[in-house]
Amino acid sequence: MKIVLYLHMHQPWRLARFRYLDLGSGRPYFDIDRNLGIFRGIAERCYRPTLDRLLRALETHDEFRLSLSITGTFVEQAKQAAPDVLDKIRALVKTGRVSLLAETYYHSLAFLVPPPELSDEVRLHREMLRREFGAEAKVLRMTELAYSDDLARFAESERFGGMLAEGWEGMLRGHPPTYLYCAAPAPTVMLLLRHYPLSDDVGFRFSSREWNEYPLTADKYARWLGNTPGDLIGLFMDFETFGEHHHASTGILEFLSALPDAVRREPHLGWATVEEAIHGTPKDTLSVPYTMSWADQNRDLGAWLGNDLQRSAFEAIKKVGIVVRETHDPAILADWRKLLTSDHFYYMYVSGHGADQGVHQYFSSYDSPYDAYANYMNALSDLRRRALEKLGVPILK
Amino acid sequence: MRTVAAPRPLHIVMVGWEWPPNHSGGLGVHSYEISKELTRLGHRITFLTPFGGPFTPVDGVTFRFPGGPPANDEKPPAAIDYPPAYWSGGTPESPFMDATDGYNVWVSLLEGLGPVDVVHVHDWFGTVGARALSKRLEVPLVMSVHSTEYDRSLGHPWQHILDREQIGIDAATRVIAVSRHLRQQIIDRYHADPAKMKVVYNAVRPSPRLERIDPAKRVVLYVGRLAVMKGVDTYLRAAARIAAKFPDVLFVVAGEGPEYNHLVRLAAGLGIGDHVMFLGRVTEEERDLLLAGSSVFVLPSVVEPFGIAALEAMAAGVPTILSKTSGVAEVTSGAFTVDFWDADEFASRIAELLEYPTLRAAMGEQGRWEALREGWPERARETVGVYLEAMSARGRHP
Repeated sequence: MKIVLYLHMHQPWRLARFRYLDLGSGRPYFDIDRNLGIFRGIAERCYRPTLDRLLRALETHDEFRLSLSITGTFVEQAKQAAPDVLDKIRALVKTGRVSLLAETYYHSLAFLVPPPELSDEVRLHREMLRREFGAEAKVLRMTELAYSDDLARFAESERFGGMLAEGWEGMLRGHPPTYLYCAAPAPTVMLLLRHYPLSDDVGFRFSSREWNEYPLTADKYARWLGNTPGDLIGLFMDFETFGEHHHASTGILEFLSALPDAVRREPHLGWATVEEAIHGTPKDTLSVPYTMSWADQNRDLGAWLGNDLQRSAFEAIKKVGIVVRETHDPAILADWRKLLTSDHFYYMYVSGHGADQGVHQYFSSYDSPYDAYANYMNALSDLRRRALEKLGVPILK
Repeated sequence: MRTVAAPRPLHIVMVGWEWPPNHSGGLGVHSYEISKELTRLGHRITFLTPFGGPFTPVDGVTFRFPGGPPANDEKPPAAIDYPPAYWSGGTPESPFMDATDGYNVWVSLLEGLGPVDVVHVHDWFGTVGARALSKRLEVPLVMSVHSTEYDRSLGHPWQHILDREQIGIDAATRVIAVSRHLRQQIIDRYHADPAKMKVVYNAVRPSPRLERIDPAKRVVLYVGRLAVMKGVDTYLRAAARIAAKFPDVLFVVAGEGPEYNHLVRLAAGLGIGDHVMFLGRVTEEERDLLLAGSSVFVLPSVVEPFGIAALEAMAAGVPTILSKTSGVAEVTSGAFTVDFWDADEFASRIAELLEYPTLRAAMGEQGRWEALREGWPERARETVGVYLEAMSARGRHP
């Protein structure tokens, strides 16, 4: 049994308050100082201590392996706010036991807008991985672990050997999530599935005192892993789990440090990167005709496109995209892509479900989804105006 | 807020001021609505007022007023011509002073009330009399504060009124504020013991939802008194920032007050005379019609202990922009909140609601739900909870 530990590193470019009165003013949409300030805080609490501990674990445990996905917007911010974080990631990659995954550069909803946006953004991301980390990604993960048959076909066309997906019962139809599968419409694309109960034990429940397994020790957790039947356990979670979502005072960093030793004591357990894990014989093919994700109780795209505000904003950015592409202006295109980042849509979420609303509020940078929508639409209107100006088209109200 | 039911019907003597249909501020509405729900729960109210009616009748509420008979009468004496409740100006020599003094003396000497459980006084008008009455009857005093003299006078409080407020706050076993913001102010400025401070918000009555009206011009609406503390000048400055971009929009000001002339001149001076319409005072029915035809409601108050007009707008499904300091902002997440001085932000928020129909619809729905999910029945139960606390703090168990 191999543990496939995969951590996701992402920070979005959050918008500044961009008022309706700011339209046409030339004011920037993104509050660089605020974003970098947030990044520095998380670097201090999470990125530095966790990367240090991972490097130590790699140095002291030859069998230890992990995989990372790092968005382009994360790297842009890290360069300005905390370049040493990138050096620490490079040190990890240098061990040869850390795989990097491909994805959209902007952690975007590019897979829902007309081509060639998705392949453009994946290409941008691949180039960034080569440039910054000298890495060649063989496995693809889509924003928010989105997955569908169509996305598997895309992965095949881009010559990826594998993709990640949520190990959700609705899609597995009785198959256990702890084996290697391949995509029904693209059999060369292997599927690695997230074991969500074991992933969420760390990602969500670790610091919850109401949890009947609290406190979770590395030994107890390794025993659970050891007792899980199958070939692979996909532990996929946010990198910020360690020190940010769970503060250092919860003991999460010590838990991470203790895990390789605890796993070593379990006779049937080992580690694998995503690249190693896809080299196997798939147990079966899986077909997912709709798009699923790793978010919320429904594992669909409801967290980003579930309500009228979100759908209206998304329709608007798609339309603006047509004009933006016509301009061939790199600055306009980059701003449009930053607005396509999925986080902006997440902030517009309004929920009736108690459990999910708490999670959404935690991640939001606005007072309310209405604030998020209005601000976003103002920025988008301004971008449209800029694009039309560039094209010399008279602007109609 | 605990909502324990009383084990038996209570008799509450409410030391009030105005009562519908003759009222100028929110205090009259509040007295009426909370009394109606309290009597629905089975409690009995004797409502004291300096005015001689007519009174909109409520089963279970008996009215007493100076010179009147000891019970509700078919033909009350003509109303005494007192200044309105929120009149705040003049000098200690004004007839208003004598009016409240006379009222307080009358309250303190009032006989024939029968067994009483609680004396409940609203704002400063009757605190001196209410304190004496509760002492004589040996029952706890509860005071509701709807606004303070600091709020009404914009930093130039009249010491005489401050004193009356202080007397009530000191003497009351429990003090009810209509928002957390006001509660904190009473603790800070009147040195009230936080342990006796309670918050009971205002509410609105659910009314039949009027069919949306599509007027020839889109309407942005302000309804309220035209007083300095209401910040209507900020609303007009905001309108001036966007009027040219929205030629199809009319900015409506409904209400009357001392700032009327100044505001009309300001609108003209800002060059938006033809974009702004001053309607003067409107009836409840007219207000409901206005709300049914409005795209946006604005409450730009510098000071607003609660702001029930905004809750009325939300209940009618009109997306609402509130100043951050308003009490009503504490009970909603479905409205935009803005710093009262930030005309540009008010302008932007108005424009965003005019520009994005999806936003208008979503905020209208959310606001309506938030305004109506709790109403006067809940507020009455919370108030009974405060009565019971006050009684038990004084060693009286019903």
